[in-house]
Amino acid sequence: MSVAAKQRLWKQVTATVVMQRDYARGFRWLELEVASDFHMPVAGQFVQLLLTPPSPVLLPRPMSIAGAVRKRARAGKPGPIELGFLYSPVGVGTRAIAALEAGASVEVTGPLGVGYPLEASGTPVLVAGGRGVAPLLMAADALAAQGRKCEFVFGAREKELLIGLGEARERIAKAGGRLHLATDDGSRGFKGNVVQLLDQLQAQWGSTPHVIHACGPHGMLGAIARFGLRHGVPAHLAMESVMACGTGVCRGCPLPRSQSARQAVLALGAEAASLKGNPEFAMCCTDGPVFEAHDLDWDLIE
Amino acid sequence: MSHTRAWGKPVAGSKVDLSVRIGSLMLRNPVLTASGTFGYGDEYAHVVDLRALGGVVTKTVTCEPRSGNPPTRIAETPSGMLNSIGLENVGLHRFRDEKLPRLRELQATVIASVGGETPEELATLLNALGGERGIGAFEINFSCPNVAAGGARFWAVPKRLEDTMGLLRRLTKLPLIAKLSPDVTDIRETARACEAGGADALTAVNTFVGMAIDLERVRSRLGKATGGLSGPAIKPLALARCHEAANAVRIPVIGSGGILTGRDALEFIAAGATAVQVGTATFVEAGAAPRVVSEMREWCARHGVKQLSELRGTFSAAPAQVVAPEPARP
Repeated sequence: MSVAAKQRLWKQVTATVVMQRDYARGFRWLELEVASDFHMPVAGQFVQLLLTPPSPVLLPRPMSIAGAVRKRARAGKPGPIELGFLYSPVGVGTRAIAALEAGASVEVTGPLGVGYPLEASGTPVLVAGGRGVAPLLMAADALAAQGRKCEFVFGAREKELLIGLGEARERIAKAGGRLHLATDDGSRGFKGNVVQLLDQLQAQWGSTPHVIHACGPHGMLGAIARFGLRHGVPAHLAMESVMACGTGVCRGCPLPRSQSARQAVLALGAEAASLKGNPEFAMCCTDGPVFEAHDLDWDLIE
Repeated sequence: MSHTRAWGKPVAGSKVDLSVRIGSLMLRNPVLTASGTFGYGDEYAHVVDLRALGGVVTKTVTCEPRSGNPPTRIAETPSGMLNSIGLENVGLHRFRDEKLPRLRELQATVIASVGGETPEELATLLNALGGERGIGAFEINFSCPNVAAGGARFWAVPKRLEDTMGLLRRLTKLPLIAKLSPDVTDIRETARACEAGGADALTAVNTFVGMAIDLERVRSRLGKATGGLSGPAIKPLALARCHEAANAVRIPVIGSGGILTGRDALEFIAAGATAVQVGTATFVEAGAAPRVVSEMREWCARHGVKQLSELRGTFSAAPAQVVAPEPARP
């Protein structure tokens, strides 16, 4: 399938809230059911959640998918898909989403964007910073389903902010992977940040190829990108941006491309170029949200 | 005493003729996509049948490709959004060679939006695209609020608009639609200037210049100080500008600004618009524009309106009755 066709599998559907519950530190876990014809998302992709009227906000809210499970077939037809989200209600829109109860309807557009290339060769190293854990839970699920072992590196400022640690443990256990924790204050695991921890781990990797899939604050992702470039470890980073449409139309979520990526875009053939049409900026929604370390200019990203 | 107008008997939806004419261009219905909110048409083609729309106004194309403004480009505000995109587009050649053939394939009625910093740039675009199959009309973007050169402020000078329209008029037989900025003292002046220069129609209006401040950081919430405000927040403002423009000229006016529903669209028609554009609504709901078409048709059928000309411009400010408040309609 061409790049263009792959990106145009999204649709806008009405989903039903299956359940929503409190999580540690004000975080919420939300589960939505969408009909069977919704395209099965991959880890790192996102959806746009739109509240049904009356809504306190106009635009939909981009939200990273933390889990996707196809339910049992019903009457010989493929089952619906259950989508899980781990998020923190920080603004008017997400607070309204947090108030949705089981049975409520919400509009879902997706799956959107480019996810993690989990098929990439090498031992997957999943690196989560704080609430950035959401898509990596899904990545761990997918790797476990393939029976692939992974290293899961999870960092936060303090142990209470290792949100979703229980879920991470479960998934890693399934695949027989290893969990590494880091906290800035040393209240749990390694004392320091995930990049310092990666430095230690990398010393043990020897010549075994590894590949990083990460999500977290942009500062952390920039540091991981530089780590990857320094050590020749491919790194795939899930970025965030304010968005309007989420589908590449409004051009509202630019991220600065690196020099090499600019050259590469200019050299692309017609079809790919029309998707990645802008040599200066990549769009978070359709070129990403998952980018390779050498795609972006990390000096310009805050 | 009833304070609603006496409408005709309801008719079947199939009896409602929504077609409208913009210069020599017949549109199957009056709903267009607003420039910059529907890409080059193909982005939404898998979820929207472009043939169900009156037409697709493309993202503004300029002579050279443009990368657009630095982040942040979007800030949501109460009932609206600010954008500072800065005319990012693929440029004339890729528009002609890649985007236009795809739009032809999708059988959309295409209105190509063009933008330039000088009359000569606009002329270059019209000369290059005028002979292309599949373009039904041009919309001249005289009103981008987000570029340093060739933006709304530069163009909002009646003499410049009239001269430029006069120059462009000589280059093509296709209908020319001038898209106006609302940020002027008197939109009647810019509207009349475009008409005098030979415009076939006007679009009223582009976004309003606005700001949003992150108070804690005392910084703009956009990459630049200002952006263009769109969405339902501007509908009353846009309606007033559209009404004023429509009353000032004889050529058709295309209403634009905050339209989310068929009712919104019909309010613009009642205020004097011949057609409408749906913009920000598409970011919320990809299928907003075709939904507006069917809602317009339903409303007209229910009220016995067989042609939009029966409603167009019938808005009256006259009767100052004291009326009981009516419940808000969605």
